[in-house]
Amino acid sequence: MNCIPNTHHVSLSDVCKRFDDEANGSYVLQDINLDIAHGEFLCLIGPSGCGKSTLLRLVGGLIEPTSGEIQIDRLTPAEAQANKAIGFVFQEPSLLPWRTVADNISLPLEVNLKNNPESARSVSELLHLVGLDGYADYYPSQLSGGMSQRVALARALASGASLLLMDEPFGALDEITRAVMGYELLRIWNTDKKSVVFVTHNISEAVTLSDRVAVMSRRPGRIVEMVEINLPRPRTRSMERNPAFRRYSEWLHDLLWQGNQNEQAVAR
Amino acid sequence: MNKPSLDNRIEVVGQPRRKLSINWLRLHIPGVGLSYLLPPVIALGIAGAIWEVWTRLASVPTYIVPAPSRVLDRLTGDLLFFAGEGMVTLAEALAGFALGTLVALVGATLMTQSRFIERSLLPLAILVKVTPVVAIAPLFVIWFGFGPAPKVLIVALITFFPVLVNAVTGFRSVDRGAMDFLRSVRASRREIFLKLRVPSAMPYLFSAFRVSSPLAIIGAVIGEWFSANRGLGSVIVVAHANLDMPTLFSAIFVLSLMGIGLTIVLAVIEKKVLFWHESSNVM
Repeated sequence: MNCIPNTHHVSLSDVCKRFDDEANGSYVLQDINLDIAHGEFLCLIGPSGCGKSTLLRLVGGLIEPTSGEIQIDRLTPAEAQANKAIGFVFQEPSLLPWRTVADNISLPLEVNLKNNPESARSVSELLHLVGLDGYADYYPSQLSGGMSQRVALARALASGASLLLMDEPFGALDEITRAVMGYELLRIWNTDKKSVVFVTHNISEAVTLSDRVAVMSRRPGRIVEMVEINLPRPRTRSMERNPAFRRYSEWLHDLLWQGNQNEQAVAR
Repeated sequence: MNKPSLDNRIEVVGQPRRKLSINWLRLHIPGVGLSYLLPPVIALGIAGAIWEVWTRLASVPTYIVPAPSRVLDRLTGDLLFFAGEGMVTLAEALAGFALGTLVALVGATLMTQSRFIERSLLPLAILVKVTPVVAIAPLFVIWFGFGPAPKVLIVALITFFPVLVNAVTGFRSVDRGAMDFLRSVRASRREIFLKLRVPSAMPYLFSAFRVSSPLAIIGAVIGEWFSANRGLGSVIVVAHANLDMPTLFSAIFVLSLMGIGLTIVLAVIEKKVLFWHESSNVM
């Protein structure tokens, strides 16, 4: 879609966010500067309440920044929404229980019709991509948590979005399913070449998935460190025993721990 | 890439219907396995038998409590009369139910669009609700005459509120993630309303109907008490004046049957519409 290779897919400059209903006027997010390249896998990691979900919702245009600017392929988030360039996956699958799997996946193509992509992928193609062949006519209540998240992922991909925004998508899954889903996501990302912004508070998940990890501080949320994960791709399970993997994990752990300590020092 | 996609779409559209028809088979007559039907029928039979024996042994006068056999005689002896009067009452109840539901749905739709409209209309709706319908009924006769109009309006008035309140709650009870997802692809308010809010409200609407459908019959009977020469309500008034208990009991019996019938019809529709909801395993 984008013909100019050197521009960023997503860029945030001096983004601040304060919610109107907060009496003391404290900022949830402060001075966020962040550029995400086309096809990059970026994780946002930080303690709970640090505003990483808020940041994701800002990028996705669900809320407006108090100040600063957000661009997605040189468009505002609202314009990107209108072009169906954004695919959201949340912690809960949030499927519509009265629709079959197939009808849930085609939901984004049934609304905002004038901006449907010319060559939408078929439902069966998407089902195959997320490993759910033969489940087209199932209802969400018949699916496990992991399968439901696969459907949510297919739904996010259905509109042809080039930017996937994932808010702790595997956070409600058990440990094993979570790991499996992580590698599945990498496989899909590898075939599809989307850009992904992935919110998590799981360190090894962040190391496994990301090209870069943005470490955030407690409130007001800032990006305290950008950690580049130079592990070869495709990532595999055996890599988790690799010393480099462990070093990255420990580094992220230290960064998060430091943020916590500073916070307590300030409080005193 | 495009051609298989078309084929698939046709396949996908066709199949949920098959799924639904499977659902249909299973709930063809809801809950009417013998295990469901038999116990209440036996209980009813025993109660009837005790009643019959009691009226005979204690020689209770018929103008106070008639024996079930007398009531059954009266009912079967003049079945067409009771069926005809019943149809009048049922028609008023259904028309009022439809009108009340329609007004409530329109009101709830408006209230969902803006908090201001909700704040202006809800107190009015509560005022209507807390005012006893029996107190307004004579007034309606003066305003709307002796035809079916005042009965239909009384039924509409009495069925309106539960539907309104539940519809407002239902339209608002949407999954937040699904809402965010639809917003993230710039679905219009209308699309969000039709694709998310309306289906989400269905369980709430059906529980409102479970309350408002018996109310509809009550409303129709009350309306007929005040001004009617047709319908089971007027049959009751006349029979009461004549101390004609077998007729009065027959009318009550037909009204109960009507209530049961309405409940069953609603349960069947509910099971069909809410096949996806946890509640569809009740009954």
